[in-house]
Amino acid sequence: MIEIKSLSKEFKLTKQHRRELGESFTDKKSIRAVNDISFSCKPGQIFGLIGPNGAGKTTTLRMVATMLKPTHGSISVCGHDTVHANQQVRKKIGFMTGQTALYDRLTPNEMVQYMAELHGMKKDLFFQRRQSLFDLLDMHDFADRRIARLSTGMKQKTSIARTIIHDPEVMIFDEPTSGLDVMTSRAIMNLIRSCKDDGKTVLFSTHRMGEINQVCDHLAIIYNGELYFNGSLNVFKEEMTQPTFEDEFIFRVEGK
Amino acid sequence: MKIWIIFKKELKDILRDRRTIMMMIVFPLLLAPALITVVSKVQMMQMKKAQEKKLKLHFIGKEYAPNLYQDFVSSERIIMIPYLQKDSIQHYIQDEFIDAVIEVSSHYNLALGQNKKASIKVYFKGSDSMGITKKRVEQIIKERERFIINERMARLHLDIDIMDAFEIDRVDISSSQEKIGKAAGGFLPYIFIIFGFMGAMYPGLDLGAGEKERGTLETILSSPASRFDIVMGKFLVVLSAAIATSFIAIGGLYLAVQQFPDIPVEILQVIQDVLSLKVFLMIMGLVIPVSAFFSAIILSLSIYAKSFKEAQSIVAPLNIIIIFPAIIGTLPGIELNHTTALIPVLNVSLAAKDLVAGIIDPILMAEVYGSLFFLAGLSIWFCVKWFNREETIFRN
Repeated sequence: MIEIKSLSKEFKLTKQHRRELGESFTDKKSIRAVNDISFSCKPGQIFGLIGPNGAGKTTTLRMVATMLKPTHGSISVCGHDTVHANQQVRKKIGFMTGQTALYDRLTPNEMVQYMAELHGMKKDLFFQRRQSLFDLLDMHDFADRRIARLSTGMKQKTSIARTIIHDPEVMIFDEPTSGLDVMTSRAIMNLIRSCKDDGKTVLFSTHRMGEINQVCDHLAIIYNGELYFNGSLNVFKEEMTQPTFEDEFIFRVEGK
Repeated sequence: MKIWIIFKKELKDILRDRRTIMMMIVFPLLLAPALITVVSKVQMMQMKKAQEKKLKLHFIGKEYAPNLYQDFVSSERIIMIPYLQKDSIQHYIQDEFIDAVIEVSSHYNLALGQNKKASIKVYFKGSDSMGITKKRVEQIIKERERFIINERMARLHLDIDIMDAFEIDRVDISSSQEKIGKAAGGFLPYIFIIFGFMGAMYPGLDLGAGEKERGTLETILSSPASRFDIVMGKFLVVLSAAIATSFIAIGGLYLAVQQFPDIPVEILQVIQDVLSLKVFLMIMGLVIPVSAFFSAIILSLSIYAKSFKEAQSIVAPLNIIIIFPAIIGTLPGIELNHTTALIPVLNVSLAAKDLVAGIIDPILMAEVYGSLFFLAGLSIWFCVKWFNREETIFRN
């Protein structure tokens, strides 16, 4: 379960940032990446956070994963506050991005073991879990090959295995399919569905409306750090006034 | 605490990196010894060549100084060039057509007959053959001078010893270890400061900026490991690489010196004494904090950088900043005192020199250790604090 209440995040702007962002930021000391957003994700549901690049999706997910501290508001993951009980939160989550985020000089076996050790898994439980994951993902053939020498698909499987080796209650996917081919994207979407089937809480960000339609139960539209919609996919569909998801998205963020 | 888990993984990771292995093992083990071997071999070859070379000389005024001229003619490995334009002799020497010209004035015999000094001009190229041409020419002139002085003394019925008012008996109380230590000891800190820095550089860049570039930083930040565990695990790996590189470099140097055939036995003996367990441990005591300082600084800069390339461009100039005090430490007259003992890197350079020479002052040594450990602690504290800043790790 993830509970987000009145969440905001401000970043201080350096001179270099102000130069890069242009004239409208010349006098600003900070930028608000996320502005007073609230939503909750329940176990057994997939919650999609949709918005264009720079909307505040990654910042939100990083705050949920305790990598960033909120400026205002609070986040609770499985009952633990992300600021005051950040280590407890990290024990409960699995975090995955579009980048495979693997160590090229390790083998899939070593990579998965490393994450298991960091999560404090007992050895026999780890061996058991690794066996079942490697069976499920068909990883045995390349488990002892250096990651640098693996294909993109093999790397993605390794990335999945390292994310879920500790069987997290909450899964966070930050644009997990960005830059991936159709086959690998499909494998990721299947993983997201299987997480739901296992009763996990899934928070998933994307800028592709099609993916939301494929897997999500609930969705929130985020744009310029603010929420433009927060509700079930069915309600969103019922309220649609435009022919496609994309058109509806643009209509909502531009029309507000 | 997950420090050990992170340390083990990062160590395994960097030991599989070819660049790190090159910087950590191959370069220090081969480069320093190869450099020393090649430089000394070339130097010795050049000296031998210059000494055995047949000098081409021209003598102006042989009719005034036939004896001196004869001395040159009868000397070994000298060819006299008979006819040269006097106004072109400087060009001939510059173009290395001849090596030197001896010019005797027409008053040569008159001056000598009156027990005065006769002027002799020697033209030579000082930049040539490490000054050996000049030495060989002057040696022949000196021998003739000694002969003339002897003759004068005999004529005046004086003992040749009258020329010397004192007989100085020089008693050098410095041990051979001290002499060699003072002369060559400055080289040792160079080795472990520079190689230590080099050894820390690649792992430091890889474990900070490299992690950002690969996107693995988020993986590890979302794990239950605390930021302190992460940064300390990484720091210890960088530190281990720096220390290992320093000692591999010193070890390589030691092996090279032992293999070198032209080193006198007494120097080898001194080297054995210098590398006693006590000196070795004391040098290690210097290497650890200075490496910790380097490692923490490199890691901090690397964590700050957005990419591996940016990290390289930030860290590379540090090489010069670090080499500078190490060079000052080798200059004559710069000694370890209560002030220099507090200046980072310079204090290591000076303390190592005194350690090798066996004349280290324990109070100054304690001061050096104190300042180094303080600095190391401060840089580690900064590194941990730096890693906890969102603005640093998510700078882009």
